[in-house]
Amino acid sequence: MARALHSLLWRGIAFAVVLELMLIPAVLYFPEFERHTAQLRAMAPLPVLRGIIDTLEEGGVFAYVTGQHFFKGCNTLGTAAAVLFAAGAVAGESHRGTLEIWLARPVSRNRLLSERWIQGALAVVLPVVATTLTIPWLVSTVGYELDYGPLLLSSVQQNAMLLAIYSVTFFLSTLARSPAGITFAMLFTTIFMFAVYLVERLTHWSIFRLTDVERFLYIQANGTFEWSKLSPLVAVIALSFVASLVAFRRRVP
Amino acid sequence: MEPGGEGRIVARGLTRSFGTKVALEPFDLDVHPGRVTGLLGPNGSGKSTLMRMLIGLVPPNAGSASVDGVELEGDGTRIRERTTYAPGEIGLYGELRGREHLDWFVRGREREARVRAREIAESFELPLERRVHTYSHGMKRQLVFAAAMAPRVRVRILDEPSEGLDPHKRSAMIELLQRDVASGTTILLSSHHLGEVDRVCDTFVFLSLGRKLATEHAEDVARRAKRLVRLEFAPGTPLERVAASLKHAKARAQGSRLVAELDSDDPREFLAEIAASRELGAPLSIEYGRTSLQDLYRGLYGVEEAV
Repeated sequence: MARALHSLLWRGIAFAVVLELMLIPAVLYFPEFERHTAQLRAMAPLPVLRGIIDTLEEGGVFAYVTGQHFFKGCNTLGTAAAVLFAAGAVAGESHRGTLEIWLARPVSRNRLLSERWIQGALAVVLPVVATTLTIPWLVSTVGYELDYGPLLLSSVQQNAMLLAIYSVTFFLSTLARSPAGITFAMLFTTIFMFAVYLVERLTHWSIFRLTDVERFLYIQANGTFEWSKLSPLVAVIALSFVASLVAFRRRVP
Repeated sequence: MEPGGEGRIVARGLTRSFGTKVALEPFDLDVHPGRVTGLLGPNGSGKSTLMRMLIGLVPPNAGSASVDGVELEGDGTRIRERTTYAPGEIGLYGELRGREHLDWFVRGREREARVRAREIAESFELPLERRVHTYSHGMKRQLVFAAAMAPRVRVRILDEPSEGLDPHKRSAMIELLQRDVASGTTILLSSHHLGEVDRVCDTFVFLSLGRKLATEHAEDVARRAKRLVRLEFAPGTPLERVAASLKHAKARAQGSRLVAELDSDDPREFLAEIAASRELGAPLSIEYGRTSLQDLYRGLYGVEEAV
């Protein structure tokens, strides 16, 4: 466990650092963004992007920051991290020939898999939460204020999305012999979903509708989750985890 | 099935297929406490599958098993808690140092296991401070063996533990196994080295294509060896014809050798028959009373195997 934990710890730290490095300049740019919203709207090539800029303008600093950090940063980099952390969970052991010694330890398979799932999930979730906690201070440096509450609730919504992607990838990893194919398949699917989001007539079919700025504005306005958008993600996480346990029980070295 | 007692390995009708390939046909096994049983057979005969099934790594399609008094059920965790296992195919975490890897192997075992694992590894002169990816195949094998021998358990399952070791290390490993067995441990091992199996095992189980061909006990083999005579003749000697005509032994020709299984423990009548034969010259060499595990193997599989 310590070996895998050590590896995921470093990956989690790297993920957090990159998220923060993306967040800092984005927040510092906000005053410029406010001044030049009209020009940015005029430059936006797609109606969906123009709609996003309108939403950001109406939502103010909260919409801008959640758009930058969650919708842009976490939905792209976070998705990649979730896929990469999960793809090797079991398939990676098989690929490098260590599956047998891992399974041969005097530990139940449920525990082996649960430990690994939790380690990877924490490496995905904690960097998102940690970087979110820096937002109120960052926006204060450019003269704005934001409360922790709506930001943390938004990070839960975002983490549910990332965990759903993580869990589906993890399930595929319990079935596969090599992580490469899963990684490509999942990254292709998520990039495709992001592309769908940008197409006006198809945008409502994209999974990223569940973590776009409108969702975060709902959370800010109501002080609670939009349950119809959160519960499908939770269901995917739970089902994928159970399916992983079932598949892993049947896995042979 | 009633579970066997402590230190015993029992299997009844254990079966496993992978897709359409039958890896193990209904298989029965009895390994008694404090005994060493060797699984012998060519690659693909089902040895590793059987061992993996016994510790719950591969679920059986049918049949039952118990190890050290614990029935095989679920994912076999309870059996793995009471046994150690050294896999045949070795894949290790190359980024770990040898010492760290040993610690990883014995985590969850009693505290002294860590110390013993290091002692065993050091007795093999393994460089435990080096990262495992710098180890040779034989060194990795020794690391796995040290980890499998360290915990105090009543049953060890070792899949080709000496594969890739030089003769010196193999001898050290056999001595360690013999000491372990003397303390009452039950061992099930597989090997391609008949010489090694011969030295350490009480019972031999021969497998082929997922089936048990035979079970032989060392005492029986030794007894049978007393009736086995090998005679070497000059090339060109008509051994097949002579073999068919012998009255006091069942014999067969193997190149320039005549291998005879005597009808009694007394070889004198047979030797007299040979001496009286007009077709045979004086034998170049005579072997008598030697262990015949190789002959068993050859007889069962029709091939020579590594010694």
